Amino acid sequence: MKLSGILVVVTTWFLFATPASAASVVNSVHNLSPTGPGTVRAAEDSGVCEFCHTSHMSSPVAALWNRRSAGSTYMPYSSSTAKASPGQPTGSSLLCLSCHDGTVALGDVLSRAAPISMAGGVTTMPPGRSNTTTDLRHHHPISFIYDSGLAGLQGELALPANLPPEIRMDSTGQMQCTSCHDPHDDSFGDFLVMPNQSSSLCLECHLKDGWPTTPHSQSGATWNGQLPDPWPVAQDQTVATNACRNCHENHQTGGGPNLLRNASRIDNCAACHNGNVASQDVMASFGKISTHPVASTADIHDPVESAVVIDRHVACSDCHNPHKPTPDQPGGGVRPAPQVRGVDLNNTEQSPATRVYQVCLRCHGDSPGKKTPLVRRQLDQDNVRAEIQPGNPSFHPVAGPGQNTDVPSLIPPWNEQSIMDCVDCHNSDSAVTQGGVKGPHGSSFEPILVRNYETTDFTRESPNSYALCYNCHNRNSILNDDSFGEHDKHISGEDSPCSACHDPHGISATQGNTTNNTHLINFDTTIVKPNSMGNLRFVDQGRFKGSCDLLCHGKNHRNKSY
Amino acid sequence: MKTTNFLKVTVAASFLVASIASAGVITASKHDFSGKGWNGTGEICVVCHAPHNNLNAAGELLWNHTESTATYTVYSSPTFGQTAANPPSGASKLCLSCHDGTVALDSFGGATGGTFIGGGALLGTDLSNDHPISFPYTTAGEELNPTTATVNYADGTTGTIADLLFGADVECSSCHDVHNTKSNGGKLLLVDNAASALCLTCHAK
Repeated sequence: MKLSGILVVVTTWFLFATPASAASVVNSVHNLSPTGPGTVRAAEDSGVCEFCHTSHMSSPVAALWNRRSAGSTYMPYSSSTAKASPGQPTGSSLLCLSCHDGTVALGDVLSRAAPISMAGGVTTMPPGRSNTTTDLRHHHPISFIYDSGLAGLQGELALPANLPPEIRMDSTGQMQCTSCHDPHDDSFGDFLVMPNQSSSLCLECHLKDGWPTTPHSQSGATWNGQLPDPWPVAQDQTVATNACRNCHENHQTGGGPNLLRNASRIDNCAACHNGNVASQDVMASFGKISTHPVASTADIHDPVESAVVIDRHVACSDCHNPHKPTPDQPGGGVRPAPQVRGVDLNNTEQSPATRVYQVCLRCHGDSPGKKTPLVRRQLDQDNVRAEIQPGNPSFHPVAGPGQNTDVPSLIPPWNEQSIMDCVDCHNSDSAVTQGGVKGPHGSSFEPILVRNYETTDFTRESPNSYALCYNCHNRNSILNDDSFGEHDKHISGEDSPCSACHDPHGISATQGNTTNNTHLINFDTTIVKPNSMGNLRFVDQGRFKGSCDLLCHGKNHRNKSY
Repeated sequence: MKTTNFLKVTVAASFLVASIASAGVITASKHDFSGKGWNGTGEICVVCHAPHNNLNAAGELLWNHTESTATYTVYSSPTFGQTAANPPSGASKLCLSCHDGTVALDSFGGATGGTFIGGGALLGTDLSNDHPISFPYTTAGEELNPTTATVNYADGTTGTIADLLFGADVECSSCHDVHNTKSNGGKLLLVDNAASALCLTCHAK
């Protein structure tokens, strides 16, 4: 009792005697002595410095170091986009790991014969955020040379000479734990060398093009409290203040590539875009009948994959750049392309894409392994790049104005010189609702169509049956036979769908010609058959004139003119 | 169990008492060599100092112990902004005449002895794993307290960091109280290093 009293007095005296400021290691959880503020601390008298340093007989690894190296073999970080290839940890990082990899007793110091005993039965680093384990694959890389060469090779990386003095490479030019952490000063939390509000520390090195103006760095959106918590580790309140940590963590990620927080790529986006942070629930679109299959294929994505996708998949980041805003919509005309890669009409990579369709062509152009088209045609084609070429006999005007200079059904502002985007037809059905989720995420109408589009034979004509077409092509004009004089007879009279005769994307010049395949004519061969002479053809005979050889609904057309 | 605890407490208490009792005098401190078998003189001081006919031609510190002629590897580190003198200068060199282990403890007064220092007190000639000595205490750009910062000696008296320096330099005696005038015994530390108070006297971590 008396002794305890003395100890208390002595301890108290030292507490007051220690010239410790708020930033001192003494007031941080790195003070593992009994006077430390953390839960992990010594059960017996020990120094503050002693857990790491000794004044004599220190470790040969580093000056005055009082710990032996863990001797562990580590699994270093790697990623397909990283230009640095860190191997086993080196230098001061090894010293950090002699506690933080969880293999060496915290109190096991060189200056003592027996390890310092820790309170609460703790020996090695308890599991949790501070225990990296020897698997460093899900931690920011360390122990690699960070020089101007790497910055040039990697891109979007600051030159080391331009870094603030707080961020230092070691004497060999390597990035180490100590580049971001100061083990003696916890003023900014997590022993960071500078504040990381809005990822300011991350952004000193990572100069992501466009980041300062992207919604992910600007949005003041907050979490509505509905589980799951989009920011389970970072404690910041808005998208802007979480910044990089909306999606990435430097340590203890959930196993995703590229230090993404969640193992599955889509979960990193879904965390906010499920209506709990972002105003729109994009994820709901993926529950519809016809979707881009992100849930089942996103993890195939690799940022360094070829522009023309070989292993078919779609990840959010195939179409969206989370680091870079899509430019503002210019006044009218086609939509601005997202800042991701695309493939142009010549099958050449465009980075970034200059038109929306170039993004689509990564998968819907020359990419192998496509699904069979919903409608089988006389001239089958599953390559949209071939279908929309401006040199084709006819095509919907995606890559350039159409061939037909006389389309009376067009509803203004559409006219014969208009250019459209794939997403004018292929879009979430919610896009037609004010404030609804836009973009070709998922729709009730196959294949991801913004409006209903029946392709089944004997479909009763109605505004809804061909709502997709009628959105641009005036239904009255069509049924009034303003162009093809027999439209009404075929559509209303015979209940034939538009798709029986028209191939919406276009007919490739490599397959069709300007005699038989103008006006998007390419028959659905499940509906339209060769006539009694074995002929199946349309012949263009000038403005609103033509002839057909075919058999349809029991009608045998032999050179039938209109 | 109870007995063990009692013993521990008793032992701890006796050390506490012993260390307090020994402050202020060299007698009974680790540098009191009067009872050592290798010290035939039975004296305390003569191992290091002699008032007359000592071994130091210049007479400095009346040094009476054979000096080491060893070559040292001194401390260096990429983050250590100073250069430790090699060989160490001043009084530190005298400490090393026993503590580097190349000269026998009983090589004093002109005699050549055969008993060498051992254990934790043996630093060897490789000083690269020991806190640097013989370098100027320079606070600019370093996480170090100013020379005017208070030093709380183990005996309860106070001073400033400037008092610990030799000229402007850090030497062995900046931390170690060789004559045990202010220390708490043990490692002859000028400042009791509980909770690393000695380290933190200079290091503003």
